[in-house]
Amino acid sequence: MPARRRFLLALIATVTTVLLPVVRGCALDSDLVLAQAAPPARIVSLVPSVTELLFAIGAGPQVVGVSSYDHEPPAVEKLPRVGALVDPDLERLLALRPDLVVTYHSQSDLEQQLARAGVGTFAYAHGGIKELFTSIGQVGAMSGHPKEAAALASSLEGKLAAVRARSSGKPRPRVLLVFGREPLSLRGLYASGGIGFLHDLVEIAGGEDVFSDITRESVQATAEMVLARRPDVILEIRADPVEPALVSQEVAVWNALASVPAVRNHRVIFLTGSELVTPGPRIGTAAERIFAAINQ
Amino acid sequence: MGCDLLSADSVSFSYRDRSGVVPVLHDVTLAVPEGGLVGILGPNGSGKTTLLKLLAGLLTPGQGRVSLRGQDLARMPRATVACELAVVPQETHPAFEYSALEMVLMGRYPHLGRFAIEGPDDLRIVRDAMAATGTSALEHRAFDTLSGGEKQRVVIAAALAQSASILLLDEPTSSLDLAYQLDVAALTVRLNRERGVTIVLSTHDLNFAASVCRSLVLLRDGHVIDTGPTERVLTAPNIRAVYGVEADIAVHERAGHLTVVPIRATGAQP
Amino acid sequence: MTAVASAALSMSPPVRRRLVVGVASFGALLIVSCLVAPLVGSTSISLRRALDPALPFADNVDAQIFFIARLPRVLAAVVVGASLAAAGVVFQALLRNPLATPFTLGVSAGASLGAMLAVTSGVALAIGGVSAVPLASFAGSLAAVAVVYALASARHRGFSTSVMLLAGVTMNAFFSALILFVQYFADATQTLRTIRWLMGDLDIASYAPLLASLPLLCLALLVFAWLPRSLNLLSLGRDQAEARGVDVVRAQRLAFFSASLATGAAVSLGGPIGFIGIIVPHLVRLLVGSDHRVVLPCALLFGGAFLVACDLIARTVLAPIELPVGIVTAVIGGPFFLWLLVRRAGGRP
Repeated sequence: MPARRRFLLALIATVTTVLLPVVRGCALDSDLVLAQAAPPARIVSLVPSVTELLFAIGAGPQVVGVSSYDHEPPAVEKLPRVGALVDPDLERLLALRPDLVVTYHSQSDLEQQLARAGVGTFAYAHGGIKELFTSIGQVGAMSGHPKEAAALASSLEGKLAAVRARSSGKPRPRVLLVFGREPLSLRGLYASGGIGFLHDLVEIAGGEDVFSDITRESVQATAEMVLARRPDVILEIRADPVEPALVSQEVAVWNALASVPAVRNHRVIFLTGSELVTPGPRIGTAAERIFAAINQ
Repeated sequence: MGCDLLSADSVSFSYRDRSGVVPVLHDVTLAVPEGGLVGILGPNGSGKTTLLKLLAGLLTPGQGRVSLRGQDLARMPRATVACELAVVPQETHPAFEYSALEMVLMGRYPHLGRFAIEGPDDLRIVRDAMAATGTSALEHRAFDTLSGGEKQRVVIAAALAQSASILLLDEPTSSLDLAYQLDVAALTVRLNRERGVTIVLSTHDLNFAASVCRSLVLLRDGHVIDTGPTERVLTAPNIRAVYGVEADIAVHERAGHLTVVPIRATGAQP
Repeated sequence: MTAVASAALSMSPPVRRRLVVGVASFGALLIVSCLVAPLVGSTSISLRRALDPALPFADNVDAQIFFIARLPRVLAAVVVGASLAAAGVVFQALLRNPLATPFTLGVSAGASLGAMLAVTSGVALAIGGVSAVPLASFAGSLAAVAVVYALASARHRGFSTSVMLLAGVTMNAFFSALILFVQYFADATQTLRTIRWLMGDLDIASYAPLLASLPLLCLALLVFAWLPRSLNLLSLGRDQAEARGVDVVRAQRLAFFSASLATGAAVSLGGPIGFIGIIVPHLVRLLVGSDHRVVLPCALLFGGAFLVACDLIARTVLAPIELPVGIVTAVIGGPFFLWLLVRRAGGRP
């Protein structure tokens, strides 16, 4: 029957279209580090955390272009912007004559375009603290500053270890780490899940992430989930500063869930700062701030 | 005999579209007596459907007026008009599946209050109407599964159920097979004769009009060319004037009414 | 059934019987689902503990889950489901097309644009306990309604449903493009939140949004009570309706505004939850026939029950995380819709 055949064809076409990018994605699942004879002299970075790492290990002078979202360290404010994850501007990128471009893992189209233009790429894969340290090593290698990278890594490890030490032996409060929600409402609430660097920071700082059992980086938490998991501390993390008047209003929104220990004991804390949302060289500071907030 | 139930006095109508004003009817005057069976004839584009809609009150004349029992139709509330006047369109395409019974029951709406549900009286009237149109057996059939003729008869039954004294039919046989055409023709005559329903119908089928209508209105380009009893209006000169066709008109013995046989086009396009 | 009883039944038109049976059955379904749903979820709670007057409310986790997390959610599902289902029925009659949905005329696209703007601008605002996103989304829906109505009424011939349909489809496309444009400027978290909103979210966790939408929905309901007879006649065609005494322009206007108001309020409350506006009207018609005097009240009741059930599935099937309710309605609705199309294509010549 023609109708049935048409339906089957449509089904096959849909399935193929859906599977195609998955297959493509798997094929490109390796860091495309182009081995170079000399370290790259002109690096463009689309990833703010990698930009920070590059500057932290002394590769700052090699950076000639950054993404639209780069603000750290202050030196990048003078550099040309070439877009970001969704909107990389290939023309402006190439106009800077880079020999290495740091891209996001998912920007496979851009990588192909750059490869065709003969420009090497380094694909950054977002992950937890462990992946961060791996990235530090890779960034050091590909920028020609392996020793500085190793030093940075051990310095960070030291800071994190210090925080871990301070928190050991103390009781581990249950922590809900919220990184986004609708202002003045508990809807659209996004919290850290059981994997990812936010989760790792909480664990290092001596907290027990309420969503440890959920193997996702982010969890959309409903009222029921928050009530059921009874966090002792609620940390609201934002990259940009929030006005003090608004902070008290936002904290007051949680009063609707009165049985939550964090609400009862007034342990709803707002933390703002870009180091809290960027897995980079300032992660030690981030861990210290989270430790302080959990134990205040 | 009797007073004029429905009449049009010097009615003119124009459509407005992007290119401007399109005149459709000019100074049309006609009268439908109580118990009359009037046919509106004319070629395509002569304004038959427009005239019928004006008589039904679905359109308002630009000039002149349409009167129902002497009252200006345009000023009467639609609900009142609906109790007197029922319309049977050329085709009915309901957007959803209704049974034939439901379709005919919808004819009772003008007589019900807004929140009233049909009662046994309404059901009796509806069944009566379906019996009169020979559609009783179709009660529980889905309307859109019926044949063209059956659908038309169900819609006529709904118009009957409206308990209206006037029935307006727009091209009642144009989409029907021959057998159904005869059916509807016979039904029309029967309704008029046995139930005293006043009927006005528009058609381009000359023979159908001749077999059913007792008086005719001939339209051409929105003007009334002639009006009066069928035998007086359906003449070769009139046919020539309206259709540009040479035709033979005679009473057919077996059929029992006037028939029109077109012979050839005159070449002089009206 | 005895001969007398069947004779008695055939003495009265089918609509009365269908109305009684329909409202009773779907009403019972709604009541049962409302009683069961707040008790079931990813966390098990005890109703006895929840209603225990000895425990202060602020300490009673079971009560908090029941009264703050679940009950508003179930009520929101009833309200949104009923509104979208009824709006679907009315739009289908208005546009004389059984495939019309509450979203066909661009109301939900306007609401979505409003929501996107609120999320991306990060404006912090709450009026009477209702936050920025629902407020902006309702404003967006009103804007869309105003534009479509203005376009449909521009022609001198009163109200044109074909122009309305075109205007609505155009609004959909236009607003969708604007939505993508706005999303382009959103950061990662905002994008997460906007995409999530588009999939439907009934976790209102408070009674304020419900109370805020109640007056609007009551207004829509009042008009819905008035419409069914006119909708039956309208579905036969404009001239047919007018010839039977219906003030067609007034009926069309009332249908358009009431259904748009219900849709706008529902989408502002729970996001654009798809497929309810088409599955429920069709299922109800399959069961009780096409008379709108029966279909409209039954769709209201069944729509509520249906969404309560879908939301229940959404929050339990992948526990502890939740599936957006729009995905559940789509998974059920998509195949159903396909089946409908195939059935229509096969059945009609």
